[in-house]
Amino acid sequence: MSSSGSLLFSINNEGKVYALSTSGSCWREFMYLGLEFKTLSAVPHYLWAVGGDRQIYLHVHGLEIPIRVKEESYENERWLPLEGFSGRLLPTDRYHFSSQDGTVDKSIDRIRLPSMAWQWEGDWQLELTLDGQPLDHDGWSYAVDFPAQFGPVKQWKSCVRRRKWIRYRKFSAMNSWCAIAPLHKDPTQEPFIDVCIGGNQIPYAAPGTLSVWAITAHGRVMYRAGVGTTSPEGLKWINVSIPPNCDIKQISVGPTGLVWAMLWTGRAIIRKGITKDCPTGEAWLEVKSPSETKLSVMSVGYNAVWAVSSDTRVWFRKGIDGNMAGNSETAAMGSGWLEITGNMINISVGINDQVFAIGESDKCIYWRSGITPSELTGKRWRMVQANMQLSRTSSSASVISSASNAKHHSLSMLSENTPELKSNIKLHNSWEESHSAPIEHTLPIKPPKEILPKNNTIIDNIDLTGKSYETTLKNPRAWSPVRSVGSVVGMEAQPDSDSSVFDVDSGMYFDEEVSQTAWGTCDTTWSFVEAGACSIDPMQIPHWFTDSYNVHNSDLTAKWRLQILDCLKNRNTYQDVDLSNYGVAIEEKGWTRSCEARLVTTNNSIEDCILSLYWHALENTGTLSVFQPDGTIKFILNLGEVTSVISSSEPGCPRVNLSTPRQNNENIKVQFISEMEQEEWLSVLVDIISQINGLSSKPSENSVWAVTSSGDVLNWDLMPMRQNPEENELHSKEFQVFGKYALSGFTTNLYNNFPPGSIFKITGSLNDEIKRFHVNLQGPEIKKQRHKIETEVTEIALHFNVRFDESTVVCNTKMFGNWGVEERHPLPLAPGQEFSITIHCNNQGFKITVNDKIYCFYEHRLSPESITSASVQGPLKLYTMVYSTTNIIIDPDEMIWRMMGGYLRKVECCQNGITWGISHDHRVWVYTGGWGGGALKGLGGNEGINSMTDTQTYCVYENQRWNPLSGYTSTGLPTDRYMWSDITGKHKRTREHTKLINRHWHWISEWMIDYNTPGGVDSDGWQYATDFPAPYHGKKIFTDCVRRRRWYRKAQIITEGPWIRAGSTALLDISLWNNDDEVLVWAVTIGGDAIYRTCVTTASPTGNHWEHVKNPQTLIAISTSNYIVWAVGRKGELYYREGICKENPGGTNWKLIEAPKYNYPFSHKTSVGAKFVSLNANAAWVLLSNGAIAIRTDISQAQQDGKQWKYLTDCDMLFKDVSSIEQEVWAVSTDGHLHRRLGVTAENPIGTSWQRVLSSSLVHVSARGSSL
Amino acid sequence: MANDREVLREIWDGKLPICFQLDQEEIMEIQQPDPFYVMVPRLSYFPLVTDKMKRHFLRFISQENADNEMWLDYNGQPLKWHYPIGFLYDLYCGNDPQLPWMLTVHFTKFPEDILLHCPNKDVVEAHYMSTVKEADVLKHRGQVMSTMQKKDHNQLWLGLQNDKFDQFWAINRRLMESHGDNEGFKHIPIRIYADDGVCNQRLVNPKNTDGSRKVLQQMINEIYPERINVKLKTHGIVLPLDTPLQWLSEHMSYPDNFLHLCLC
Repeated sequence: MSSSGSLLFSINNEGKVYALSTSGSCWREFMYLGLEFKTLSAVPHYLWAVGGDRQIYLHVHGLEIPIRVKEESYENERWLPLEGFSGRLLPTDRYHFSSQDGTVDKSIDRIRLPSMAWQWEGDWQLELTLDGQPLDHDGWSYAVDFPAQFGPVKQWKSCVRRRKWIRYRKFSAMNSWCAIAPLHKDPTQEPFIDVCIGGNQIPYAAPGTLSVWAITAHGRVMYRAGVGTTSPEGLKWINVSIPPNCDIKQISVGPTGLVWAMLWTGRAIIRKGITKDCPTGEAWLEVKSPSETKLSVMSVGYNAVWAVSSDTRVWFRKGIDGNMAGNSETAAMGSGWLEITGNMINISVGINDQVFAIGESDKCIYWRSGITPSELTGKRWRMVQANMQLSRTSSSASVISSASNAKHHSLSMLSENTPELKSNIKLHNSWEESHSAPIEHTLPIKPPKEILPKNNTIIDNIDLTGKSYETTLKNPRAWSPVRSVGSVVGMEAQPDSDSSVFDVDSGMYFDEEVSQTAWGTCDTTWSFVEAGACSIDPMQIPHWFTDSYNVHNSDLTAKWRLQILDCLKNRNTYQDVDLSNYGVAIEEKGWTRSCEARLVTTNNSIEDCILSLYWHALENTGTLSVFQPDGTIKFILNLGEVTSVISSSEPGCPRVNLSTPRQNNENIKVQFISEMEQEEWLSVLVDIISQINGLSSKPSENSVWAVTSSGDVLNWDLMPMRQNPEENELHSKEFQVFGKYALSGFTTNLYNNFPPGSIFKITGSLNDEIKRFHVNLQGPEIKKQRHKIETEVTEIALHFNVRFDESTVVCNTKMFGNWGVEERHPLPLAPGQEFSITIHCNNQGFKITVNDKIYCFYEHRLSPESITSASVQGPLKLYTMVYSTTNIIIDPDEMIWRMMGGYLRKVECCQNGITWGISHDHRVWVYTGGWGGGALKGLGGNEGINSMTDTQTYCVYENQRWNPLSGYTSTGLPTDRYMWSDITGKHKRTREHTKLINRHWHWISEWMIDYNTPGGVDSDGWQYATDFPAPYHGKKIFTDCVRRRRWYRKAQIITEGPWIRAGSTALLDISLWNNDDEVLVWAVTIGGDAIYRTCVTTASPTGNHWEHVKNPQTLIAISTSNYIVWAVGRKGELYYREGICKENPGGTNWKLIEAPKYNYPFSHKTSVGAKFVSLNANAAWVLLSNGAIAIRTDISQAQQDGKQWKYLTDCDMLFKDVSSIEQEVWAVSTDGHLHRRLGVTAENPIGTSWQRVLSSSLVHVSARGSSL
Repeated sequence: MANDREVLREIWDGKLPICFQLDQEEIMEIQQPDPFYVMVPRLSYFPLVTDKMKRHFLRFISQENADNEMWLDYNGQPLKWHYPIGFLYDLYCGNDPQLPWMLTVHFTKFPEDILLHCPNKDVVEAHYMSTVKEADVLKHRGQVMSTMQKKDHNQLWLGLQNDKFDQFWAINRRLMESHGDNEGFKHIPIRIYADDGVCNQRLVNPKNTDGSRKVLQQMINEIYPERINVKLKTHGIVLPLDTPLQWLSEHMSYPDNFLHLCLC
């Protein structure tokens, strides 16, 4: 089961719970633990239920990393003259142990686990850093007095000190039913009849908010306070009063928190005024039922309420607006009932207002198809037809299992293997012995021995504070949950043999076929359906519907289809016909395509033009001609010279960008008339350019990936270049110089430097009046700041100067800007002559040949590795210039960047081809090996192309200034920023003018005020400051003259690409490194936790599951190489993970790394934190928060934190991304250009200079696959 | 949706080796012309693939006939140019396969009563487009074709004419989509031919009355309730009788969007 699927839950007529995954096609039964269930309610990962014993149970599932909560407490001490620092504080001081602001007493011995479902993770620990700076071993930080700035150093005036204790607790009842405390000591006194969960999308509420409502048998309505994603069980029940004479039997809460309740009399009441600040609402309102109809079941969605009446008719409530429901009675009540065809007995509204119901006559589950935001009533009911997992307890199942396999052994043996059944029941009957201690969360794949706890031992080391619950039970049958709040109702009993509903994600290689064998069809009669966690993509509906014409997956294996395919394949075998003299009927012809478009010039002006594309597939040539509107030619571009085609659309301006580095550095920008046309041209151009360059299949393992600012994924593959013909094992590059006049100098890059074995050769002809000319093999240009900024070459390894005026040849070397001792040789050439000069580099020096005669030898004075370019200057004409080296020459002019398809924020790869991506909504994707999708259509076939979605948030800021007369208004000073602006205030941004970039995007929310803006906000979302670019705060104070608030709106893109979801955990950063087939994948979750993926190999690139690693600080970035892991903390500090090896891939503990002390010349700040790291075998390239790069060198297994920091001095470029592996370092500068570091060697890990390899607007690069 | 690319590709790549020979009576030269051998896509039409062949034979015929319209016959049976080549082969040689397919080329005695005139390729295009439109009327009440632009139509035709699978399917996939909640086509564009070439076109629904997918056998039972052991052939293969009609229409229609099936 892939965890990317969501789940539809239902209860059959025997009270057993089943789940159906949207990515699967089989109902899987929940482990039966002797407890039937009455009702269920779910949001993704959280399921609440009323059991057959009328108590409430919670089931948390499908989370790949544990729920962890950090408890923290500050220990405060004051210095007293005699005693020194002590815990005795002044009466006016804060508590000895307190919260950070000192207002709350937080004695650590009183911080307890909330329930038995929680476990401590280790003991209390001291935090030993302050803002990334290490503290001494006791962790104290010092200040003059309490509400002051604390610093790491004790000074004479430090009167108080404090240190921070932290301890993590973990929710250990994952993947199991967990009892919720009853209302009274005797649980039978007031049992429950209904429970519901929702509220995961309450407008403006903090992320992670959930709301749970329940009905007791006495008809009381209870709200569960404190429920959230990190506190799944919440804190306590709060009684919500109901109007007199209202006897409630059912309650439903929608994603926006809207609550409807159903009375026994068949009427409905709703709760008005539920907002983020008032989760229980204000008052009840009655809703009229459809005339002469008693409603029986009802379910609340986002913008919809559906109900079923006692005569099994189906009703839709129109006019509900979930976003407004908290403030508007009409939005909460809707405007009227609409009868929908069909007869149902139960109904449930899921994500996106999709509706499921149970048919009255057949008790089957139906899905309402065709529901869209604009058509909430849908089109028709479609029966969900999925196979059943054969139940060990169900009587109606009939075994159609054809073969048994290990995994399902226990299932196919069920009928005869009754002892197993008994053991389950025994487990249930006897569980009060084991429930007294929470059972550690274990993944079902682990052997059972580890799961069954030895209570005695665990009780010893676990601080269990639920003391009041420790009374032992005399009669095991009279069990009551009051004694075991949060305790776990059994675990998976046979984890090896059971196919759990919550099977850990087995990725895309899940063998559906094998698992099918133990599944059978049986007529289940359902009594309850719950869709609250079920997310159906109307574009790609699950394979649940046999009436669908879309079930091609079953068609693919159908006998008739295989028969047809077989016949089709066989018909093309003409045994007796000799085909050699048969011509081709349709000859390959070139084709043309043209359209009117606009050319965007460098200064952003727009010229009309006519584009005409000519392409001849057989000759593999193509041209793009650009004409003026009157038909005269502007220019004609040989498509062989285009190195990248990317989309560069802006809202309303569908554009394509072509890079032609050989022509000029400026990209060609074309704006099309429509998006459709832009997409067609984009896919045609990408296709043609890939064909010209022989790129069609999956890129090789060593290719480099990049992501553009429009989210397109680019790939550059070295392999096709590597196949170029080679001469004597040397790679050569001929520069296009014929006829170039070198009077003012001609300089060219030597991309691989000039190591021994390299050859540089020029031919040309000298002018008749030539006096001097020279050939330099030199280092990079260094920027110097004298009167103005100018560049100079300070390192020239070989200066070969032919002086006709002095009749001599001078050879010399420039070091640190100073010439050395000259070596002079007789003149070998005459003016006006044709000549050739060849320079061979060997270990000792340069062997120089003039006109094919060995001329002289010049010993190395500088390492030839430092040579980055060659320069020829003098009055001469060049004919040829050839550069040959032992390594493959990577010329940026020949790098073809192929658009691969998909929409991502980040792509990371390693050297065996496994490639992972992260989208803007932090979801994780794995490259499938395909090519195309989205605008590219099916370029490389449809193989591996999957549908993808991504969500991005658009923000605008509303700015206001205070004036004495009218208070805050949107009239600012003339010097002020725009009153509606972006975050910088420099660009005008209004809500009305915020447009989506193309038709694949659509809004999924309205404009909303962001109440979670960093810095804090007031109740209207405003944050205040003294003046505009000043720090903002949430509380208005006297000196504040301006305020701003952030509005946001979410948009979603629906596209396709060669990517597949891997796991459901949201990630910030990911890093891959491989040792042959075995791959280390480390990642940082959105919550800042470090995790690593198990069992990632080339055969299963999605791996198995995430393993969580404890980390004391929240992290933002991570990198791994060579079994070393570095991570960046939120405050810019760097850590490495100690003790990682094959046997212990998680390592043992985090160690702080000395921070880089980088003085950036134009910056005021003396120390800046890290924000990103890329680790290679012996150095770590660290991107600092100001965009500069620091390099930690001499990293080894023995010295994992390296020895010293080095900085790039050759340029003042700033970067937004860097990626390094072995001796390859690639980076994206802040202006979006891609650069490759030249001259990186083991001896010189920081390299010599940057080479620009792609001028485009990139955001990310990963060169972690390259291996040269 | 026609998404079984493997089948689509296989059908697209279907080719027939054909040997053209000039009618002995029309040879005006002493030297016998060589037969003209060519591999012809099954999905194409004769006027699209015979230019070269025509030039080859023109030298051998009387100059007064050179401007006459060329026509082909197989075993004395004139071949209708407006049918796909593969279908003509299945119709006339389906039961007795012979390869290469021996066809005779004529420049005189145009059988006016049997064949339509085809002065140029535009006529083929017009005929082709009208057939596609007819099919779309059956499938989607003509909605897809009417929303397409002229250049889409053009691309469809050029894709077929130049044997470009991707170019063709980029457009044709839109014609093969089912609209409105995946209910399948309104009707299946289907023509069934007896071995005498007589065509039987009926309104065929892709679904049975109970909403399940209609398979080939069920359609045969409806159309030929009296016949037993009916086999249908297209693209050179006999179709399994449990193939769903909707799938068949999406994947095994000729480029004119019709299923051309031969009874045998």
